[in-house]
Amino acid sequence: MKKYFLIVSILLFMLGCILAYQNITYNDKKLHVVICDVGQGDGIFIRTPKGIDIVIDGGPDSRIIDCISKHMPFWDKTIEMVVLSHPHADHLTGLINLSKYYTIETFVTENLKNNTVGYRALLQLLVSRKIKVNYIYAGDKFKIKDGVVFEIVGPSKKFLQETSPNGEIGDTGELASLGSILTYGKFSMLLTGDSQASELGEALKFKNLSISVLQVPHHGSKFGLNQEILEVLIPKLAVISVGKDNKYGHPNPITLDLLKQSGSRTLRTDQVGDIEVISDGNSFSTKN
Amino acid sequence: MNFKLLSILLMVLVFRFYFFNQDQAQYTDGQSVKFEATILSQPQVIGSRQVFTANHKNQKIKIITSLLPEINYGDYTYISGPIRILPQAGGLQPRALEERSYGASKISNKNNGVLMYFPDIEIKNNSSNIFQSGLKSINLIRQKIILLFSKTLPLPSSSLLLGIIFGIKEQMPKNFTNNLRTSGVFHVIAASGMNVTLVGGFISALFAFFLKRQIAIGMSILGIVFYAVLAGLEPSIIRASIMGVLVFSAQILGRQSLAINGLSLAGFAMLFIDPTLISDVGFQLSFAATLGILYVKPLFGGKDGVLSEVLTTVAAQIATLPILLANFGTYSLYSILANGLVLWTVPILMMVGGVGAILSLILMPLGQMLIYLCYPLLLYFENVVNFFGKIGGVISVKVFPWEFVAGYYCLLVSVLIVSKRRA
Repeated sequence: MKKYFLIVSILLFMLGCILAYQNITYNDKKLHVVICDVGQGDGIFIRTPKGIDIVIDGGPDSRIIDCISKHMPFWDKTIEMVVLSHPHADHLTGLINLSKYYTIETFVTENLKNNTVGYRALLQLLVSRKIKVNYIYAGDKFKIKDGVVFEIVGPSKKFLQETSPNGEIGDTGELASLGSILTYGKFSMLLTGDSQASELGEALKFKNLSISVLQVPHHGSKFGLNQEILEVLIPKLAVISVGKDNKYGHPNPITLDLLKQSGSRTLRTDQVGDIEVISDGNSFSTKN
Repeated sequence: MNFKLLSILLMVLVFRFYFFNQDQAQYTDGQSVKFEATILSQPQVIGSRQVFTANHKNQKIKIITSLLPEINYGDYTYISGPIRILPQAGGLQPRALEERSYGASKISNKNNGVLMYFPDIEIKNNSSNIFQSGLKSINLIRQKIILLFSKTLPLPSSSLLLGIIFGIKEQMPKNFTNNLRTSGVFHVIAASGMNVTLVGGFISALFAFFLKRQIAIGMSILGIVFYAVLAGLEPSIIRASIMGVLVFSAQILGRQSLAINGLSLAGFAMLFIDPTLISDVGFQLSFAATLGILYVKPLFGGKDGVLSEVLTTVAAQIATLPILLANFGTYSLYSILANGLVLWTVPILMMVGGVGAILSLILMPLGQMLIYLCYPLLLYFENVVNFFGKIGGVISVKVFPWEFVAGYYCLLVSVLIVSKRRA
C-alpha cells in the first residue's frame, strides 16, 4: 500500500510541474496563429491572448490534430469555434476527426453545400454531437473580449447567388470560399481559404488596408492572387499552405514571382512545416 | 505436455487444415460476390476511407470504402460487389504493389491479396441475436472509453494510453506509430499476457474480499473474456486470454497448470477455429514471443526489477527476430535500451489508467483525475520513443529467405536442448 501512495504522490508532483510549465507557455497573453503542415490542404489554428481557440479548416486527414495538440495546454480540450472556409475534402476531412478529440462549441461556414460523402459525414457528425451549423456572410464579425476581432470579408450573399445559383459548390472557376481578417491591435492577417482573385478583389474593393500577414489563396494557385490585390495589401509576410509534390503544381511560379516582386517574405508549409505567427498586438514574429 | 496427447492434437489439426482448404472460397478477379458478415475488428479510418476485413467462406476479404455508412466493430453487414485480386508474388511484393495502386497511404501490413473497393454495404443489426447484441454493447463501452481518453488527454498521449491498456490502435497518429516501430517498443501497444494477468489478478483480488474464492476466480475469468472482446479480439489478446482463462480455471479445480500446456492448448484452439491464422504475423509473433519468454529467458538466470524486464524483451526478441525480419525487414538496434527505459512505466500506466477507465464509467470526473495522473509518465514515454525514433538505428534487410528462418530456429532449438541437458 505504501508503494502505491509513493507512486501516486510522485505522479501528482510531476503533474503539478507540468501544469505550471504549460500554463506559462500556452497562456502567454499573445495571439498565436499556426498554419499547420497538413500536406495539400488548409488547416489553421488560432489561440487568442485569453486562450480562445479557433480552427479554420481541417486539412485532408488527421494531421491537424497533432498540430493543434502541440499548441494547446493538455487540459484544454475545447475549441470555441470551428470555421470551414468551403466544403472541399482537402479542407474538411480533418474536421471530422477533430470532433472526436475536442469539444466544438460553434461551427460556422459559408452557405454552400457539397454532395460528397465527406461533407455528408461531417454534417451527420455535427448533428449527432448537437452542434448547430451557422452560415456566415461578408460583414459578419466576431469580437473576442481580449481585443481580437475576426471579420468575414467574403463572399457576400450576392456573390454566392451569382456564382453558385444552385447552392452547391463548384470545382474551379466559380468557386467561392470564406475570406476573413484577423486583427489584434496593430497586427492583422488575411485568411483566404481557396478564394479566387475575382472574389478576393470584390471583397477588398471597399477596403483600403494594408495587412501584416497574408495567407496566399488556394495553396498558391495562379488564379488566387493578382498584382492589384497585392498592391492593396502590401503584406510583410506571405504564408502558403501546400503539400510537397502535389499533383496540381501548387504553388504556381507566377504567384511566387508576384510575391517576390511585392517584397514580402514567403514561407511555405511544404518547406518549413508548421508556421507559427505570434503577435503581442504591436509587432509579430514567426516560429517554425 | 503429454507426448501422446500432443500428437493427437496435431493429427486433428492436420485434418482440420485439409478440410478447411477444401472448403475455402476461390475467387477470380472481377467476380461479383454477395455475403453477410459480422465485422470483428474496428475499421481503420485513413484519410477519407474506411478499411476493414470481413470473412466470406473462410476467406478474409479486405474492404476499402468511403466514410459513410460508418461501420463499427460488431456490426452485422450485407456486402456485395466485385472482388479484386492483387497478384501475390510472395515476400514483400504484394504490399508494395498495394501501396502503389492505392496512393501512398499504408492500408495494412497483412499480405492479403483479396480486396473489394467500395462495395455496397448495408448494416443490419439484429438485437434479438444475443451474440450480436452482446458484441454491440461491449463496443458501445469501448467507444465511450475511447471518447473519454481522447477528450481528456492530448494526442498522442491519449492514444498511447489506449494502446497500453486496451491495445486499441486506431487513434494513434502515423508518425508516432512509426517512432514506436523504429524504437522497437511497438509490442507495448498490443494487448497481451501482461494485460490479461493484471485484469484477472485485479478482479480476483477485488472480489476475494467479500466472495468465496472460487466465485472470485470465476468472476475474473468472465472479466478476462469481457476484456478480450473490449480490446478487439486480435490474435495476441486471444492467445493471452485463453492462457489466462486456463490458468484461473486450474486454480478453481485446484490443479497446478504449466504455462506451456496453456500455450499449446491456446494455439490448438485458435488454429482449429481459424486455420488462416497460421499465416498471420500477429499470431506468429505472439506465440514465438511467449515461447521465448518460457524457454529462452530461464537461460539468463533469475533477475529482479528492471533487469528482469529487459531480459524478457531480449528473450522475446531472440525468439521473434526471423519473423520480424522476414515480414517487416527491419530490426531496431536500440530497441533493448529503449525498452529498458520505458517498460517500467507500463504496469503503473495500466493500473492507474485502467482503474481510471472503470471509474469514469461510473463517475466521470474521478476517472479523469486518474487519467490525468498518467500524463507525466506518458510524456516521458513519448519523449523516449520520439528520441529513439528520430535517431533511427534501424537495420533493414531487403530479402530474408525462408532458409535463414528455418536455419535460425534449428540452431535456437539445438541450443535450448543442449542447455536443458546440462541443467
